[in-house]
Amino acid sequence: MTRTYVLTNHKGGVGKSTSATNIALGLAAVLRQAKAKNSRVLLIDTDSQAHATLVTTGRNDYGTDNSLYTVLMEDRQTASQTFANCIVPSTWDEDLHVLPGSPLLEQAERELQGTAGAPYRIADPLAKIAPHYAAVVIDTRPSFSLMTEMGLIAATDAIIPIEPRYLETVGLLSVITKINEIREGWRIPDLRVSGILVTKMDKRVKGHHHLLKEIKSHPMLGKLLIGIIPMNEAVSYAHRSHRSIFAYDPEATASQAYAQVIGRLVRQGGR
Amino acid sequence: MPSKKNNDTDKLDALLASVTEDMLGDDLPQHLADNGIRVERILLEMVRPDPVQPRRVLSERIHFKFHNERMTPTQALRELVQFAQVSARQQGRPFANVLEILPDPESDTDEPEKLSPEEDTLRDLVNLAVTIRDDGQVNPLTVVDVSQGVTRLFRIETGERRYWATWLLRDFFPGYDSDGMIDCIVVPAEKSSVFRQAKENTARKGLTAIAMARQSALLLLTVHGYEIPIHAVNNDFYRQALDINLRGKREYTDIILSAMGGINRARFSQYKSLLQLSDEALELADRHDIDEFRLRPVLTLPEEAQGEMVQHIVQFNLSGRQVREICEKGLDTEIDEKPDSTAPHIRRFVKSMRRVGEQDEDEFLNSLLHEEQSQEMAVARIESLITFLTHVKQKMNM
Repeated sequence: MTRTYVLTNHKGGVGKSTSATNIALGLAAVLRQAKAKNSRVLLIDTDSQAHATLVTTGRNDYGTDNSLYTVLMEDRQTASQTFANCIVPSTWDEDLHVLPGSPLLEQAERELQGTAGAPYRIADPLAKIAPHYAAVVIDTRPSFSLMTEMGLIAATDAIIPIEPRYLETVGLLSVITKINEIREGWRIPDLRVSGILVTKMDKRVKGHHHLLKEIKSHPMLGKLLIGIIPMNEAVSYAHRSHRSIFAYDPEATASQAYAQVIGRLVRQGGR
Repeated sequence: MPSKKNNDTDKLDALLASVTEDMLGDDLPQHLADNGIRVERILLEMVRPDPVQPRRVLSERIHFKFHNERMTPTQALRELVQFAQVSARQQGRPFANVLEILPDPESDTDEPEKLSPEEDTLRDLVNLAVTIRDDGQVNPLTVVDVSQGVTRLFRIETGERRYWATWLLRDFFPGYDSDGMIDCIVVPAEKSSVFRQAKENTARKGLTAIAMARQSALLLLTVHGYEIPIHAVNNDFYRQALDINLRGKREYTDIILSAMGGINRARFSQYKSLLQLSDEALELADRHDIDEFRLRPVLTLPEEAQGEMVQHIVQFNLSGRQVREICEKGLDTEIDEKPDSTAPHIRRFVKSMRRVGEQDEDEFLNSLLHEEQSQEMAVARIESLITFLTHVKQKMNM
């Protein structure tokens, strides 16, 4: 079964898109490096801001006939083929493929509200496409919207990026609760919270150290911690040049930290 | 100067190479490193029949329209259904639903119905679709992964009939809820084999003589290093094999003959020779499954007359001997619309009467004595024959 990672947090600016794109690229590269049978990774952008799409494909003008919106509006029987047709190659790596997001996703969400089976509009077609990929990574929008719900229902592993701040940590528990509700409510037994990713960690801020210590010592959250991404200017510069953090500056601390996270995910994937 | 993308990939690989061993422990997780052959469920739309496959499941016209991207699989099947409906209606057995083309188990008629090629193809596919519906897909297709970039595509190596039956089930069986997937064994492109395809073709329901001709050509062209196209090809592609033979590649002779169903060299050559037939003759002969023996004499006719001759074979159900005689005398000889129903021993006797003369008396006597074992029996045989011939003569005079 292909592991499908969804990066989710209803708080904005915590590094969901940055983490989703770099993790997706890193997984493809690690698997290719390790001569895996299949090293292709699919990135699905469910965020109407389409930032992940922009940085990985260099474009953000996907719309009615070539984006996730197209898939969501398609008939159930032909949705899988449309899904496959809308996938585009990433400019980052030949093994990284992208199902682009679009500003139209907001409209799709409004149109699909109350439609029977709407929450499965990503999961159903993805189930037929996912076996062709070694992994799938889903970037979500910063809200508990229908689109985020679709992403979670389609996923096997939820990764929650958080900044090491007090209110963020409080919010973390509500994200975990929401994921559990979806697992129970929609009967998605494969979905689990498989990682907490601390982002924008500033070593100079005492409060960050304090909260990180608390997370590590927590009996449940401590086990879920899969990585700590330091605050690093290279990340924003990489975004500006539409490149991955690895390509922009492989020596950057954030690059090293993301590489460790990816290794951990690959190892987890075998279990 | 290396491109920016290549530079980026190099940097990434360099970074990850330094940490891979630590990160992954001793080995890559088993499921990611597994290179064994597996059965996968693949979306029907991602699977395409092999355009060069010698066995044509659909008629030539639909085959070319489909492979030239002018038809979707559903449209191709719809056209087949429409053709079958027209011929069925002409024969007074119209049907609306594809399931109605199956034989009626309640019917009292012992004689099998004579179906048109389109009805035959459709009935065959509907039968298979019903089996898949009731018992599931027992054998997966063998497909070759020919994906390029983001486009996932799998070319069928074996199992095209199952592919069409699954489409039929999905789009033409009322009330059937298909998930639109099909079980496939995925073979990497570098491991695809025309020999495996040929063995599958010849092992199950026999190929038509024309399909055997195309099959022989495909194998010959492959071992002679010809490039096998990935698009639909016309008969000229296969005809290239007329200029090459097994002698040029002795090391492959056994494997080719075995893949062709264990035939000998002479038979192989006979099949291959059929490619000399005109396009029209090839199409008709393939559609109506005319055997090689009946087609062999047609090769002696000029190209422009071959199609007409094959048409006669179909129309009058001519035997191999009749075809040979007509081809020897020329097509202008009038063809008896009623096939000769005379018993073979009568025919032989009548013909031998023409040749027998005084010079044969001794030889005839010796042969008769040898056959009858006694003089009395020989005399009795002659007397009964004289009586028989006398009666025939009397009937003639009446």
